[in-house]
Amino acid sequence: MSSVKNDPVKIETDRSWEASRSKNVTFVVTEDCQLRCRYCYMVGKNKAGRLKFDVARRAIDYLLGARDLVTEPSVVWDFIGGEPFLEVELIDRICDYFKVRAYELDHPWFERYRFSFSTNGLLYNDARVQRYIAKNSSHLSVQITVDGTRAKHDLQRVYPDGRGSYDDVARNIPRWLEQFPKSSTKVTVSSDDIPRIKESVLHLWGLGIKEVNINVVFEDVWKPGDDERFEAQLMALADETIDRRLYETRSCSFFSKTIGAPYVDNNNWCGAGRMLAVDHRGNFYPCVRFLGFSLQKRPALTIGNCLDGLDRNRLRPFLTLDMVSQSPEECLDCGVATGCAWCQGANYDFADTRTIFQRSVAICRMHKARVRANNYFWNRLGRKLGRDLRAEPRGGEGAGPC
Amino acid sequence: MLKYLLVVLARDATSFCHYEAGGRRRGGADMIPLDRLEAAVLFALKNNLKVNFLYPGRRLGRAYDKLVESVDHVKIVPFAARSGHPGAILVVESSEIPGAADLAGLRGENFILRLRRADLPLLAAALKRLLPRAKRINVVLADVAGCGEAEYAEYRRQLEKILPEVLKLAARPDPPELNVLTDRLALGRMNNCEAGLAHLTVGPNGRLYLCPAFYYADPHESLGEIRGEIGIGNRRLLELKCAPICRICDAYQCKRCVFLNRALTLELNTPSAEQCRLAHVEREASRLYLGRLRESGSGEGLADIPEIAYQDPFDVAVEKKMSIADFKKL
Repeated sequence: MSSVKNDPVKIETDRSWEASRSKNVTFVVTEDCQLRCRYCYMVGKNKAGRLKFDVARRAIDYLLGARDLVTEPSVVWDFIGGEPFLEVELIDRICDYFKVRAYELDHPWFERYRFSFSTNGLLYNDARVQRYIAKNSSHLSVQITVDGTRAKHDLQRVYPDGRGSYDDVARNIPRWLEQFPKSSTKVTVSSDDIPRIKESVLHLWGLGIKEVNINVVFEDVWKPGDDERFEAQLMALADETIDRRLYETRSCSFFSKTIGAPYVDNNNWCGAGRMLAVDHRGNFYPCVRFLGFSLQKRPALTIGNCLDGLDRNRLRPFLTLDMVSQSPEECLDCGVATGCAWCQGANYDFADTRTIFQRSVAICRMHKARVRANNYFWNRLGRKLGRDLRAEPRGGEGAGPC
Repeated sequence: MLKYLLVVLARDATSFCHYEAGGRRRGGADMIPLDRLEAAVLFALKNNLKVNFLYPGRRLGRAYDKLVESVDHVKIVPFAARSGHPGAILVVESSEIPGAADLAGLRGENFILRLRRADLPLLAAALKRLLPRAKRINVVLADVAGCGEAEYAEYRRQLEKILPEVLKLAARPDPPELNVLTDRLALGRMNNCEAGLAHLTVGPNGRLYLCPAFYYADPHESLGEIRGEIGIGNRRLLELKCAPICRICDAYQCKRCVFLNRALTLELNTPSAEQCRLAHVEREASRLYLGRLRESGSGEGLADIPEIAYQDPFDVAVEKKMSIADFKKL
């Protein structure tokens, strides 16, 4: 039996590749998707919005050439949709073009790049997709979205005719985990999902997905009592994680040493503006949430295009945006503020006026519930292991996935 | 706190700032309706507001004149229409600098010089002509968007060129003020336009706006009717403390124009590179002027203007975020 001193605690999610040092560029290769997930912020899906190779080529040329503005030492090329693997042949051409141009220009990104995918997983076993994966495997990360149990997944992640997609995704998971054993999945929680949180995280861990990134939706969908139900689910998950020693090998982003303290830093939560999204017209956006098809109330917000380049003036608000300038007084004075997330795109969409400087507080009660359950988790685990875990160096980083 | 009200009397009223006024519509009702003007005057009287009336280059008629005279006010009129408006602020367009004959007899006037980029090389000459007649001159660059290094360099050259004239007039018992050169010397904190905070505008349609520029940009985007309670969505974004670039800046003479902010960066609280660079050309010229004043044996009691290594406070704001404690002190 090992001594308690040596008990590993893996529960916090790892930092991403080149965390915060890389330029994150998102190509929205299509605005189409096989699914119509009920919580999806991309409310305007369509078949017409398809990226053309020539537009992607121009965007790459601009970004490789604009070294005075784009100074990051590495790059993550994100391919999303809709569903990106619907356009895998186009993506393959784009990736090849980037590699050749970066080599020709002797650009530092040639040595330091990744291709990243968030996919619904339906096409994972498609021969064209597998060819692409084999060709780029050393520079690739693929995240398949599985929302948890069949019941939870099929509640939200449905085909246009309302059928659930769980079985069609689940059959591709073994191969995915074989090819990408360190993969994580991203789970989104809305009001109706709350009763299934615990079982879903355990289910995903049971499937072999060791890292579960999970967050509540930022939109104002929460009903009275949701916070108590949420807290109860997280506490039940905490008990199960501790009792079955799952913390040694599994991680879940709901549990973090760093959340639930008063603010010390005045940093923005979100990387919008430091990231870049490119649509099929060649327009640049601060992130994918600022595209027209992601917004419900506001017009799209561009920060340039692949012909004229980045609009430095439109970038200025994003690059100087801090926490204090957008937060209400109650947030600045909140005793459990750290880890309370926001999405700049959702803020922009739902603000009273057209601004990115009005922070939504829709998840306030949910965050406080998470903090209580998180405190419970660390205190219980600390007592079990006989040490103050929150005084130890942290593994993960505060900002979770968005 | 609101201190004054701007009233745009007609759609073709003179612009006094960074926006272009509209032309007259043929047969269109482009004058502010009398009942709306009356409501604006009443609002001013009930809220202790001074009124700045923006005039077109034509007569308005007795009924309008009567209402204007019923409240404490300042008139802002095109230079060519100055007759009959003693004490008015005179708007001079850089494309139509008045000749010596036009200026003869004028003393202690308040001028607004609306300068266009194309006329930048004429700035010092225009100021040299106006300064002896002036109590104060506000220089406003009308077309800020798109300024580049050539314009900043020319603006710097022109301000340095006019400096000896300002220095010479400083010896007068009533030295004229030149906003872009002398204001910064007298300021210890931001002295911005404060549209929406210190003043509101009544457009020629009788509706309220943050400033005239917002009316001309989109008449439909108004704050509503003139009434007791005026709701400005996200009003805090007009305040200095919620402007991450401006709150760390000491170009105190800058107008911090929220209209240009929104037009160029899409945010009311974020200035464009052009605005910051121009304000820092003025700041640097003011620093130079202060040095010359001191060399000439005057300027006592004036605070130093520190030398700085940047031309755009964005570079500082993006590097280092203000601490929460410092923010709470604002």
